[in-house]
Order: sequence, then C-alpha cells, then structure tokens
Amino acid sequence: MSLEKKDEFDHDAWLKRKDLTAVETAFLTTLIWMDKRLRIVDYLELLETLYYRINLQMPKSHTEQYDLDNKFWYWYPLYSLGSLSIIAYLVAAVSGALLGFYYSPSTAGAAAAGDPTAAWLSIEMIIKDIQFGFMLRSIHRWAAQFMVAAVFLHMLRVYFTGAYKEPREGNWILGVILILLTLLFGYSGYVLPWKQLSFWAAQIGVEMALATPIVGEWAAQLLFGGFTLGQATLVRMYIMHVFLLPFVVTALIALHVGIVWVQGIAEPH
Amino acid sequence: MTDQHTSTDPTGTDEQEPLTDGGTDGEARTDGGPPATIPPDDETPTWSERKERSQGLSRLTYEYFERARREDQDLRQESTYVERDVLGFPAWPHETIRNLAITSFFVGIIILVSATIPMYFENPANASSTPSIILPDWYLYWSFGLLKLNPINPGLAVLDGNLVFSHEFFGILGHGLIIGVIALVPFLNKGNARRPVEQPFWSAVGVMGALLSVTLAALAIQNFFPFELELLFTLVFILPFLGGVVTYAVLKTMREGYMYDLNKRYYRLRPPQ
Ligand code: HEM
Repeated sequence: MSLEKKDEFDHDAWLKRKDLTAVETAFLTTLIWMDKRLRIVDYLELLETLYYRINLQMPKSHTEQYDLDNKFWYWYPLYSLGSLSIIAYLVAAVSGALLGFYYSPSTAGAAAAGDPTAAWLSIEMIIKDIQFGFMLRSIHRWAAQFMVAAVFLHMLRVYFTGAYKEPREGNWILGVILILLTLLFGYSGYVLPWKQLSFWAAQIGVEMALATPIVGEWAAQLLFGGFTLGQATLVRMYIMHVFLLPFVVTALIALHVGIVWVQGIAEPH
Repeated sequence: MTDQHTSTDPTGTDEQEPLTDGGTDGEARTDGGPPATIPPDDETPTWSERKERSQGLSRLTYEYFERARREDQDLRQESTYVERDVLGFPAWPHETIRNLAITSFFVGIIILVSATIPMYFENPANASSTPSIILPDWYLYWSFGLLKLNPINPGLAVLDGNLVFSHEFFGILGHGLIIGVIALVPFLNKGNARRPVEQPFWSAVGVMGALLSVTLAALAIQNFFPFELELLFTLVFILPFLGGVVTYAVLKTMREGYMYDLNKRYYRLRPPQ
C-alpha cells in the first residue's frame, strides 16, 4: 500500500477550494496544524461525549445556570462578592509576582538591633528606586485588603441568605477554611517587610503558639522556625506566602466554585 | 490449527478465502488458536445482572443508586415545574459585558485607592524596643481583641483563685470557640428558611456575631479610645447583644406582614393542589 496521501485528504487544496475569509483560514490552518500533531479531534469528541452523556451543559447564561429567579434581582449585587474576592485575589497575585522580583527574604545586614535588614531594604528600594514600585506595593497591599473585606462580606451574605443549609454544608466548611487561609495569607505577608510592626506581630504569633499546651511548641517551630524570631521565621513566612498558600488557596477556591457549579446557587424562596 | 478452523467453517468448503493483504487465512493466523477469554455472547451478563450479582458494599451501592434514580424520576414526574425558554439574560453579550464592567470597575477602584491612599512604611524591626502599640492589619483586630480578654478569664476558688488557663491560652480558646461555632452553623440551623425574616433568631445571632467582630476589634485598639477600659469592656459584649435583641424584635414584627406578602406571591406562582 502506498503511503502517499490520497487527494481527498489534501487539506490544503480543500482550504483553497473553500474560499474562506482570513480569520477562517487562520483558524483552520492552526486547527489542522495542532490536530496533525496532537490529534485534538479525538479529545474534542471525548468532550462532546461528556457534554451529552453526563449532561454537563455549558450554561446558556449565568442566571440560567444558577437558576436565579427574576424576583431576586435586588439581592444580586451581594452575590458578586465571591467573584470580587477572586478578582482581588488575582490582582494581588499579579502584583505580588512582580514584587517578588525585587524582594529578598533575608534578615542579613542588621549589625545592631533596629538596623535595617536586607528584607526591609529591598522593600525600601521598591518604594524609592524602582519605577512604579511604590504603586506596585500599594496595589498589592490594597488588593489584599479588598480581598479580605470581600471574603468577610461574602460570608455574611451566605449566612444571611441561609445559603449554607443542606446540601451546602460542605461548601460552608470549605469556606471557613478559605477565610482562615486568607487571613493567614495576610498575616504572613504582613511579616515579610520585617518592619517594626511585622516583627512584633510575629512575636505575638510565637507567644500565642507557645501559650498553647501540647501542640504549641511544635506549632511555633513549624510556623515560625523556632521560639525566637530571625532568619528562619522570615523564610518560613516567605515560603508560606509565595509558595504554599498560593497553591492551596487557588486549588480550594477552584473546588469551592466547582461545588457551587455542581450544586447550583441557593436561591431564597 | 487449520483443522480446527475448517471444522467450524460454516460454509463447509476447504477452499481458503483470500485476505485483503493477499495471503490466506491459514498463513495469517500466527498467534495461537481462537481467543479463550471472551465468553460467547449469550453468556455475557448484562450491566444490571452484573450489579445484582454483586456482593457487600458494591451491592449496597447499586441498590442505593437504583433507589435514588427512581426517586429522581418520581419527583420529576410529579413536578409541575414548567421549563421556560428564557430564564435570564444571555451569556453573550449581556452577561459578558456586565461581568467585564464589574471586573474593570472593581480593579479600577483598587488601583484608584492604591494611588490615592498609599501604604505607609515604618522603621526596621527592632527586637529590643517594644512599640507602645502593636497592631496587625485591621482584619486581624478581632483576633487581637480576643487576646485582651484577661478580665473575664475565670479563676477557680478550688485552685485558690489561680487561673485555669493562662491569659494567652484563654484568648486562643476564644478563637477555637468562635471558629468552631461558625463551622457548626449548618448543623445547628436546619430547615428551609432562607430569608432573614423567616428566621429571626438566627439572623439575630448573625448580627451579634458581626457586631462582636467589630467590638472585639475596638478592644484591640483600646488605646485609641478616650473612655475607660472597664466601660469599653462592658460595651464589647453588651452592644452585640443589644444589636441581636433589636434585630430579633424588628424581624419578628416584620415577619407577619412580610410572610403574608411572600406567601401570596408564592402561592400565586405555585398554587396549592
Ligand atoms: C477565598 C475566599 C472565597 C472565595 C473566592 C469564594 C468564592 C465563592 C463564589 C464565587 C461563590 C458563588 C456565589 C457568590 O459569588 O456569592 C461562592 C459561594 C459560596 N460560598 Fe464562597 N468564597 C470564599 C469564601 C467563603 C467563605 C468564608 C464562606 C463561608 C464560611 C463561603 C461559603 C460559600 C457558600 C456556602 C457558597 C454557596 C452559596 C450559594 O449557593 O448561594 N465562601 N463562593
């Protein structure tokens, strides 16, 4: 059997024959290019099967997907608080990633108590020397404030509309975990500049941990890297703030919203 | 092998059919006799036969799924719900544009606020000088306030008036209590009520909680208040309680008139059978 392609599979000729617009040509060319390499057609078919079999429908509209009734419109702004938390989270993530280029999590450089450390100096450099740095830090901090506020108000909205009742108990508990992680996000970020209040906020954290019987010392070591504050504390807060929490919180938010998608929004009646 | 093949050959002829690759069947069969693992068609159990034969947990799972499916079907058949063609605005363009507007508005506000109220940066950490006022960000004030509950930390007479918990641990227990109660809410408040008017008690509890988070925050920044700590401390608990009582009273009063309206509309939409 010849390996040469038969004419009916000559996609280029087919493209020419079709007399398409530029957009259509570009789209089809890309599709064909990708399909030759990755066989997307098969996956598209899988998706299609999913779509019909499992009755996973693309929403015709948000209101329809969540089965929102028209009599309900005046509550609607409160229902955007969850999304506003996500938006603020994204703003904080982008600005935080940019800040990360300049920040250094190090207490090096302080010869005497009260001397600036490398961490503090790097924030000072961001504020004073970097183009747009002052604004960047300001955006990052304000996005964090907005996120916490939105999450708190979102929780109040869920509470006062009774949206946590069966079958949404699990999502409420997931929400409680999310708000705690959000606060931890804020707290660990607060410590990073290693300014006076950062230090003393961390100090109070250590004292709280140490006042707890049984697990306290272990928790202090885990979170603060010891019983006295120093380089280890800063690095732990840093890893928590820029590595662990971003992954965990992003995954949990996806799960949280996924559950809302599956269960539908709780409409008061 | 060839013998076996010809003996089952339905046509009963010895002549071997040419195959598409030009050879004959006899030559092509190189990997041993007919497959032994696939039972003949009439012995293959159907899906439900297989499920019915299953044992233990998978059997229970199957039985429950069957029940659930039947329940679903019954409910669907009994339902008088009429599927409407259009329930809301279309995703494109209405909702997409609305969402883009909300998003850009919100991001715009964040940027505007960041530009106009920049964050203030302080001196480097100094482990040897405790600042007179230690504060976290505002959203942790409530937590910080909980650490200042020393005056109500119980001392037990049995222990000669000694504290049961250290002051710090008492505050930490406060955190645990608050978080625990919040997490338990769905299991304490059950039922179908959704709107605040339908559940005055739980709305009052909610108002109390929200106010408590504010008064505890006030306790955390007590140094900024002109009045005495004693008074502030009393207010921390009295104010939320008062707020709760007022909420309860207002909602109870609203309830009659409101429920009447609500029910009128509800029954117009879904008339009682
Ligand atoms: C990082 C924080 C959070 C994010 C990003 C988030 C996001 C969302 C979003 C987008 C929704 C869809 C409905 C809406 O926007 O109102 C939702 C619903 C919900 N959230 Fe959250 N949420 C967060 C925290 C919380 C918290 C703290 C709670 C409560 C303790 C909570 C409990 C719920 C529940 C029960 C629903 C379902 C509500 C319904 O069906 O009406 N979430 N969340």
